Amino acid sequence: MSDIILRTTNLGKQYKNRWAAQDINLEVHRGDVFGFLGPNGAGKSTSIRMILSLIKPTTGTVELFGQDLFKHRDLALQNVAGIVEKPDFYLYLSAYRNMQIAGSLTLGKTPADKRIMDTLNIVGLAERALDNVKTFSHGMKQRLGIAQALLCDPQLIMLDEPTNGLDPQGMKEVRELIVRLTTERGITVFLSSHLLNEVEQVATRMAIINKSKMLVQGSVEELLKANANKFLFNVEPVKKSLGVLGKIKTVSEIIQTEEGIIAKVNPKNIPSVINELVKAKCKVFSVQPKRSLEEYFLEITNET
Amino acid sequence: MLNLIYWELFKTYSKWRTYIGFIAVGVLIPVIMWIMSYSGEQMIQRQLRSLQKDFFISGNLFNGWVIGQLIMNGLWVHVPALIALVAGDQLSGEATGGTFRLILIRPVSRTRILNAKYFATLLYTASLVLFIGGLSLGLGLWIFGSGDLIAIDREGISILPESELIGRFFLAYALAMWTMFVVATLAFFISSFVENAIGPIITTMTVIVIFLIVSNLPVESVENIKPFLFTTQISVWTEAFKDPYDWSKIIKSCAALGINSLLFYSATLIIFKRKDILS
Repeated sequence: MSDIILRTTNLGKQYKNRWAAQDINLEVHRGDVFGFLGPNGAGKSTSIRMILSLIKPTTGTVELFGQDLFKHRDLALQNVAGIVEKPDFYLYLSAYRNMQIAGSLTLGKTPADKRIMDTLNIVGLAERALDNVKTFSHGMKQRLGIAQALLCDPQLIMLDEPTNGLDPQGMKEVRELIVRLTTERGITVFLSSHLLNEVEQVATRMAIINKSKMLVQGSVEELLKANANKFLFNVEPVKKSLGVLGKIKTVSEIIQTEEGIIAKVNPKNIPSVINELVKAKCKVFSVQPKRSLEEYFLEITNET
Repeated sequence: MLNLIYWELFKTYSKWRTYIGFIAVGVLIPVIMWIMSYSGEQMIQRQLRSLQKDFFISGNLFNGWVIGQLIMNGLWVHVPALIALVAGDQLSGEATGGTFRLILIRPVSRTRILNAKYFATLLYTASLVLFIGGLSLGLGLWIFGSGDLIAIDREGISILPESELIGRFFLAYALAMWTMFVVATLAFFISSFVENAIGPIITTMTVIVIFLIVSNLPVESVENIKPFLFTTQISVWTEAFKDPYDWSKIIKSCAALGINSLLFYSATLIIFKRKDILS
């Protein structure tokens, strides 16, 4: 079987005269945490809905595990699970019953009690298994959604904005869970988000979509290479510091911004740069790596 | 497939709205019986007054069978609303709750999911009709006893012997069920293109009223389409109390009703398979 487990070719959806997504060509490799980045309304959810057969595309094809989604839908989706936008459930039923329903749709039979409880245990909901989902918080529903996705041992999980509406603790838990899924269970994760730091922290490969069109795709490392090694210097006085930094050979691309001075420096040379600034009697309050994905994202989306 | 049907039935019977019909009928029928215990006898006597001038009528004329038939006559207008309450929620309820996103991304075809839902809808419809039949006849026979049935309609009066009545009521409820399947299929069809359950209930009742008006219009230009409207055949169950049975009429009516169900279901399938899930 090919190493590429999800491939879309010229995938697009048109509503009357408006394209909600156009020419989406994605390639997700086995073992990836694939970040699908884009501002709100860029076409991320539409693309995911097409991949999961909720929406019929106007153009293009989707191949999952080598199977054409539109010719062999059941086979193609056999090893795929997902949460599209927010997870929704039968609120009048318990978490356990919801798991049974979701599991039976994939397995063709009601999943075993142990399997359900083990999966609920992974997301920390085993003790609430018999409670009606309507009593669950948003974070708990999100975790239950992930449990439903995990229930049938999928090889690919598609998560659409999985941390939407969660508090910082909940976001952290979901991120950690995503990393665990790939490292411990070997699951490929397709993660759509408009939160750059979320993708930056977990993704190995990514694609950026804006105004319905896909702009770039590749490994996070490669895409950010050009913007690597940038640091934000919070120093005083700024003018004097600019002069000192300008004289250091290992420092380049010095820009003064409202936040402070941004300069390109090899991280190994940071101590000597700070030393030079201190020697010149400049006050160094902080030196932080500049979030290069944010810069990269803004740069690339502003171009379109 | 059985697993899918099981879970659709489980979902249907886990909802509060499913029991509204049973509760309504469960309250209404005993109330009707209570009222009839006071005034039912007089009502029957009034209806038979002209007949009693020429004939000597003996035995228990006001009995459980009579009550069962009266209730069938009185409830057939209201039962469609109770059926639409559940059938109209089968697809629109999933859209409202966002659960289409849960079930339609699984490796099960939309056709199979729709079939399971439709089967669950028909089972609910059958269970409600049987509940009405069981309660009205059971309670009626228990309170008012048994006897022959005097069936009065536009064509005259028939006295049906007690020994035939179980079979006749069985046929009447089977025909009523077949009719209500069309109502359920109509509500199911409407629920496929809306995203709230109120729409299908109101629309189903509106369609029934409009079709009923057309079915009863004494206009020549609509005579040709009348036999194909399910509302024209909606009282086919009364054929079970004709003596002798008019099997030809019963079969034609059942066929027309079946065609209606088939058309509504086919349309639902086409819409559902093409539907983009945006909720």
